Amino acid sequence: MTTSFKLELRRGSVVVGKWKQGKYRVERLLGEGANGKVYLVQKDRDWYALKVGADAVDLQSEVNVLKSLAKQKGQGMEPFLFDVDDLYGPAGREYPFYVMRYVRGTTLASYLKEQGAEWFPLVGLNLLSKLGRLHRAGWAFGDLKVENVMVADYGHVELVDFGGVTAVGKSIRQFTEIYDRGYWNSGSRSADPKYDLFSYSVLCIQLHEPRRLHQLTKELLPQNRSTVELMAIAEASPALKPVTGWLRQALHGEFRDADEGAAAWRLLMHRKDTRRSSSMPGWLKGMVATSGVLLAASIFVWLLRNVWM
Amino acid sequence: MRQILLITDGCSNVGLSPIVAAAHAKSEGIHVNVVGVLDHGDVGELGATEIEEIARAGGGLSRMVNTRQLSQTVQMMTRKTVVQTIQLAVQKELQQVLGNGSIEALPPEKRGEVVRVIDELGESSGLRVALLIDASASMKPKMAAVEEAIHDLMLSLQARQGKSEIAVFHFPGSRHGDDCMMDLAWTDHLNGVHSIFPKLQMGGTTPTGPAIMQAVDYYRQGEAGDYGRRGRHETDGMMGDYVV
Repeated sequence: MTTSFKLELRRGSVVVGKWKQGKYRVERLLGEGANGKVYLVQKDRDWYALKVGADAVDLQSEVNVLKSLAKQKGQGMEPFLFDVDDLYGPAGREYPFYVMRYVRGTTLASYLKEQGAEWFPLVGLNLLSKLGRLHRAGWAFGDLKVENVMVADYGHVELVDFGGVTAVGKSIRQFTEIYDRGYWNSGSRSADPKYDLFSYSVLCIQLHEPRRLHQLTKELLPQNRSTVELMAIAEASPALKPVTGWLRQALHGEFRDADEGAAAWRLLMHRKDTRRSSSMPGWLKGMVATSGVLLAASIFVWLLRNVWM
Repeated sequence: MRQILLITDGCSNVGLSPIVAAAHAKSEGIHVNVVGVLDHGDVGELGATEIEEIARAGGGLSRMVNTRQLSQTVQMMTRKTVVQTIQLAVQKELQQVLGNGSIEALPPEKRGEVVRVIDELGESSGLRVALLIDASASMKPKMAAVEEAIHDLMLSLQARQGKSEIAVFHFPGSRHGDDCMMDLAWTDHLNGVHSIFPKLQMGGTTPTGPAIMQAVDYYRQGEAGDYGRRGRHETDGMMGDYVV
């Protein structure tokens, strides 16, 4: 359900915060979430992402989550939230907004299209690590879907739209049907790490077999939706073949959290590596080459340190 | 928290005005949400206005959707109304403390704690939703989607930490003279309930107003005690005061 949110910030206009007088020049619209719009803005030559919403309570809920994540220091959390304020819209109406770090990147689907599907295993692994951080802090992401994953250079992954982030044990705040465990008659809508891993599996299928998945949701009667149907698509997909076993485990909630899922995902690649399977698909070969380079690089660094110290 | 959720596809045509009925509900502390189900064609200007007005009088939300969006809409509306109900209560408290009840009037750094309380209460407070289903002839092809939406709502409510229950009514009742009939008494699970509307005879008039009044009455009776246990019975006896 999209809220009737019609505020538009024009390119070149300057947003001034009501409380703290922060000034941001609007560059362009980056995207639209359930609770508001995200714009690319500039302040003192630095780029930021500014999210403006219609509802102060909804937006503040997101800010609360971001703040609690920011407190989680020492776990590699980069500073994320820069400013929280209100702006004056047309007709004097006030709109709440917050300013966050801007990540130059593209959506997951277009990244794989442009850079090649061989990036998929690495991007997948990076996404699982991102989810792992949230899980360790006691949150589930909730609304994990292709649109909410941005990818920057060399497969760097960033999650966007924190409107669905929910404390473990509470009801998922925001979700998208086809990624939802409940929709597939496969579990509750309570937030837990396994909920995200279920969505992650659907996301993998959505990335490689979008048409089949769409067709399935149109044809199936609600009571017949199940992981069996999802797995049937995965098994028939050549691109997903290496990870079908992993997907089955994730859909059935067999991984405790994203860290455990990531470990299994990593193992999957290495196992294929040691076997030197001749039927190794292209992207896996790419992966092996990448890890070879990484290994060489780390040996090099190790040598350097030992020589100079 | 108490809500009535009306799912309909057109205009009421008999009995008390549904807008008056919704205002009654609101005065009892029951928020009325309305979903207009479209699909091929529309509810007409009159229907659209009525749907909007019922929600406004009932202090709730209204949306026009097609059947494919029904589950998602019902779920989101219920959730949003919970937050708004809590928000109103919290704002009343704020009014006493600050002299200004709106959250927007607080500086952003002070909003955090208030919103945390709203989120917490929204998750843990008890919630009852009475679903009121228009079973007139034109709704027939949409009933499968309605049942799915009810199951889906139950799934969402079960994930809440607070006690959550639904009851289901359809209108008009199956026999002549019944404005409304209960299909499901207050329940917190639908496990094993495959068909909520077993032998529905679709058709007849559309007594939306009287049906809303009956749901309000059900709340009152349910809180008094035994009404919930009567289950699948016609409840026309309760309607004496309201039938026009």
